[in-house]
Amino acid sequence: MAAIATPALEEYAGGTIAREQVGLWRDGFRRLRRNRLALAALVYLTLLVLLAVVAIFWTPYNPATILPHTLTFEAPSAAHLLGTDDLGRDLLSRMMQGAQISLIVGVGTSLIVLTVGVVVGLVAGYFRGWIDTVISVFINIFYGIPGILVAIILYLVLGRGLLNIMIAISATAWMDMARLVRGQAFSIREREYIEAARASGARSGKILFGHILPNALGPIIVQATFVIPIAILTEAFLSYLGLGIPSPLASWGSIASEGYAALPLEPYMMLWPAIALSVTLLAFNFLGDGLRDAFDPRQRR
Amino acid sequence: MLTRGTLIYIAQRLALILFTLIVVSFLVFITVHSLPGSAFESEKVHGKALQLVLHEYGLDRPILVQYWSFFTNAIHGNLGVSFQIRGLPITPVVMRELSVSAELGGTALLITIGLGTTFGVLAAIRQNSWVDYTLTSIAVVGYSVPSFVLAGLGVLIFSYWLPTVTNGVISYPAEWSGTYGTILELSLPAIILGFYTSGQVTRITRAAMLEVLQQDYIRTARAKGLKSRVVTVRHALRNALIPVISILGPLVISIITGSVIIENIFGIPGLGKEFVESILQADYNITVAVFTVYALLIGIANLIVDLLYTVVDPRIRY
Repeated sequence: MAAIATPALEEYAGGTIAREQVGLWRDGFRRLRRNRLALAALVYLTLLVLLAVVAIFWTPYNPATILPHTLTFEAPSAAHLLGTDDLGRDLLSRMMQGAQISLIVGVGTSLIVLTVGVVVGLVAGYFRGWIDTVISVFINIFYGIPGILVAIILYLVLGRGLLNIMIAISATAWMDMARLVRGQAFSIREREYIEAARASGARSGKILFGHILPNALGPIIVQATFVIPIAILTEAFLSYLGLGIPSPLASWGSIASEGYAALPLEPYMMLWPAIALSVTLLAFNFLGDGLRDAFDPRQRR
Repeated sequence: MLTRGTLIYIAQRLALILFTLIVVSFLVFITVHSLPGSAFESEKVHGKALQLVLHEYGLDRPILVQYWSFFTNAIHGNLGVSFQIRGLPITPVVMRELSVSAELGGTALLITIGLGTTFGVLAAIRQNSWVDYTLTSIAVVGYSVPSFVLAGLGVLIFSYWLPTVTNGVISYPAEWSGTYGTILELSLPAIILGFYTSGQVTRITRAAMLEVLQQDYIRTARAKGLKSRVVTVRHALRNALIPVISILGPLVISIITGSVIIENIFGIPGLGKEFVESILQADYNITVAVFTVYALLIGIANLIVDLLYTVVDPRIRY
């Protein structure tokens, strides 16, 4: 394990920050390429992103429109590849919109968590003292409070909408990221090169974001990747309970819920979101595992 | 076992749980009560009459006063009254639902641990064989497929495609016959809930077993001629269980979260179903009560987990 990590360490020991970052990425992707499962996941997710982008400009039908000459619960056909739903809307169009929403919520939440978690974690781990105490106590209180339940309550207060659902999920999800970054900052700040930077007069901001953050990037990327499936799952969970994305917007969770309600009439309506959600979450988990092996080789599973 | 240090440790942890409960219930209370609309607004109560009703429930007082009276009552085991079913005391309802959820969650936890450790050990002792690959794949699929998807498929399969297999016990929409259901009715939701979290246990057990199996004392045990089953179970598994215990806390959280949706799908009259219903019906006293009970459960579960460490690994002392 140590043997794999060494080249990356050597590369930045003698180089500038810019070269070190290139080293991390190139080194990571070289290792990621060898992981077939992660690559397959990456290919699938790329296709899913393409589908979601296409859905911005074009869907077979308007996903929210109740089509005039369509029956409810039509079986899959050439006109409606995945059939139609309980109101006679085209399911393929709705699934495409669902992909869009899942990806926006997943990536958006991950970005919020990344920003808040990294800043709070760096500050707590680097400055220590009372700031660290306050942050740590806060995080420890919420450690063990189910994030989904917090998200449900918070989302109700914030009101329905895409941005609000991301904020509601981030409300607890940032804490794991902050804890991780705090731990990293805690150990990295004791290294000699940080002391050297401080001795040469670098300010705290420069040390935090120029020296500590780049050296903690591997585990941070991995953690940020794992936030995406958690956020997608939470959104689907909320939408399934009818507490999520407002209709007529289609979410995989709400399609699954409508499909479940229509189970005796049309079992296939529930199958599409079930398959889409499972495969997508699986892909993100495989990608996360692959990234962990590639970017965070010290941490063995 | 119970040294002075351990007792002090337990006391500290209990104090911490109490503090957590106060903070969490306060935040939830404030949040929920700041929501627009109340359970009374939908009814035909206006103006003076609405004021009277609000006064009867103490909802016209300042929010901090309301929280204080909730808190003092909660300490005495009184979680307040329902808005929706006027004046119904919540505590007995929540306690009954807690026992139902504990039945489901406890069964699921046993299934999770049993399934997860068995799979993990089998995968580890047959590392890099087809057994290993199959079991680890099942684990990843297990925690990637959302529990409501599994539950929906379960109902689809057993009520729609194969109703004869279960003798029609799983019907659509699924509903428990009594408060505590029958063993057959319990089995499908418990297995689905347990399977969902077992993937994590499989991964941790496998990794820990692989680590332990490389240790010198395992080689020694093998060298002195012990049967491999004895080595695996008595020498390796006991030490491999320590990391597994460390994820018991997160497991309880996963099971509680999962039970919210499983109880709704299978019509199980537990805390999770009540939580969602109370939110949909704006019956916020119940929302706060259920949330507080959840936080208490998790706090106690985490404490038990930390105490279990000392049992499994005598080197750990508090």
